[in-house]
Amino acid sequence: MTVSIWGVGTSMFGRQPARLPAQLAWDAIQEALEDAAVDGVDAAYVGTVFGAPGVAQRALSGVGITGIPIITVENACASGTTAFHEAHAAIAAGRYERVLALGIEQMSTLFDGPITPETTDSEQASGLLLPALYALSASRYMADYGMTLSDLAQVAVKNSRHGSLNPRAQRRRAVTEEEILSSRPIAEPLTLFQCAGLSDAAAAAVLGHERRDDRDVAIRASALKSGLAWDQASKHVWGFDVVADTSAIAYAQAGLGPDDIDVVELHDAFTIGELVTAEALGLAAPGQGASLVRSGEASLGGRRPINPSGGLLSRGHPLGATGLAQIAEITWQLRGEAGPRQVQGARTGLVETMGGGASGIDGNGCVVTILGG
Amino acid sequence: MNSLPPASKKLDALADPRPVIIQAGQHHLLDGRSCQACGHAIALQLPLCPRCRGPVEPAQFGPRGVIWALTVVHVPARPDDKVPYTLAYVDLDQGPRLLASVAPTDATVEVGSSVALTALSALGDPTVEVAP
Repeated sequence: MTVSIWGVGTSMFGRQPARLPAQLAWDAIQEALEDAAVDGVDAAYVGTVFGAPGVAQRALSGVGITGIPIITVENACASGTTAFHEAHAAIAAGRYERVLALGIEQMSTLFDGPITPETTDSEQASGLLLPALYALSASRYMADYGMTLSDLAQVAVKNSRHGSLNPRAQRRRAVTEEEILSSRPIAEPLTLFQCAGLSDAAAAAVLGHERRDDRDVAIRASALKSGLAWDQASKHVWGFDVVADTSAIAYAQAGLGPDDIDVVELHDAFTIGELVTAEALGLAAPGQGASLVRSGEASLGGRRPINPSGGLLSRGHPLGATGLAQIAEITWQLRGEAGPRQVQGARTGLVETMGGGASGIDGNGCVVTILGG
Repeated sequence: MNSLPPASKKLDALADPRPVIIQAGQHHLLDGRSCQACGHAIALQLPLCPRCRGPVEPAQFGPRGVIWALTVVHVPARPDDKVPYTLAYVDLDQGPRLLASVAPTDATVEVGSSVALTALSALGDPTVEVAP
C-alpha cells in the first residue's frame, strides 16, 4: 500500500539564538499537523545532529505529543531525511498509522562560522573543515573538466534568485556573479556566498497510508545508504558514488528515471555540491552539471528546476532540519502551493540529502526520495 | 572522583586519530596498512581492510606522491591554525590517498604536482613539500 505525505510544516530559517530549539520545532509540528488535518500521531522519528539529549521529547511534549514511541536519529546533514525514511518504512511495515518525521537544529548558539572539526576524526583532526572537503572536489573538477569560477558562481546566482522568492529563506536577496566571487574566500575556490549559511530551524512532515485526499503526496520511493570506502581507488570525487548508488535504488523502486522528474531539491551546502550531485543523480553527464545550470534548464521556468526553494545556499542549513525542509518544498510544489516559485505542472519531484563528516568513506549517509507522480 | 578530562582539553593530549608519519633515514614515510587479501593500501592503522574486510599487515608508503586535489583554506579550523593554509589530497606512489598540509612554498602547487612527505607541521599534521 502506498505511503503518503499528509502534511508538512517548517519554522522560519535563519539565526534565531533567542528561540529555544523546542520553540522552533513547535512552529513546524503545528503547521504539519494542521496541514495533515490530524490532532496526533502514533510515533515520531526525529533527526538532529547537535541537538541536546532529550531535544525531541522536549519539543514534542510542549505541544502535547506524549506517550508515543520517539526515536531520535543522527546522520549528519541527512538526519532529517533519515527520520523521514524511517517513518516511511515504519508505516509501510504496518507498525503505525500516522507518523511524524521532524528535524530540529539550532546552530547559532554553538558555532560562529564553519562547524568546528570533530577531533576524533582523522581528517577533521588535520584541519579539514566541510567547506574544505567540498573545495577539494571543486579543485579536482577544475582540473578534470575545465570547470571555471564562473561555473561555480552561477549555481549561487540561480539559487539566490530562487531564494529571493522564498519568504522563509535565510538569504532572500538575489546576488550577482561578481558579488559571489568577491565575497570572502573560505576554502579556495569557494567563497562565502558559495557556502550555505549557519541557520536555526525545524521542519516536519506527517506520513500515513494513502487517503482519499488530493492534497496528499504519494511517496514513490525512499532509499538510504552510507558511503563505501572513499580513497585512491575511487573513480569520482567524494560523495558522487553514494548519491549515484542511492538514486539508482530510488529510481528502481519508483520505476522512474531522471527524465521523469519535474522538480528537484538537492544538497547544495556548497555550490560544487549541486554540480556533482546533479551529475550523480543522472540529471547531467559527468562534467556537464555546469552547463545544466548555465543553460537555464535548472532555473525556475526551465525544463527541470533544481532547488526552486533557493536550496541550502539560500534557505540556510540547519543540519537536522534541512532534509524535511526539502521534503516540504517538494510537497508544496507538487500540490501547486509554492506561490511565486511554483514549477508549473510539476507532477513528480525528487529530494536528495547528503551527509558527510566521517573520513575514509564516501559520505555518512545519503537519502533519495521520489514523490508524487 | 575527578577522572574525567576537562572538556577543553587540547587535541595533543588526547588519542590522536591522524595517520602516523615516521622518519626513516632522511625520508618521512606513512606508517599504514596493506591488505593481505586484495593488496589495497590503507592510510590508517585499521584492523581490517575497509574495502574487502581482509586481514592487514603493517606497510610503509611514500615519501613521494602526486597532488590529487588541493585548497587554500582562509578560515582557521582550530584555534592555532594560521590562515591561509593549504590542504591537499596526495596520492602516495603505490600507496593510499592522504590528506596533508602543503608546506609553504614560492613554487607553483597544483593538481598533478609532485610532492614528498616531510616532517609533521607545527600542529602535528601530515605534511608534504613540493618535490623537484
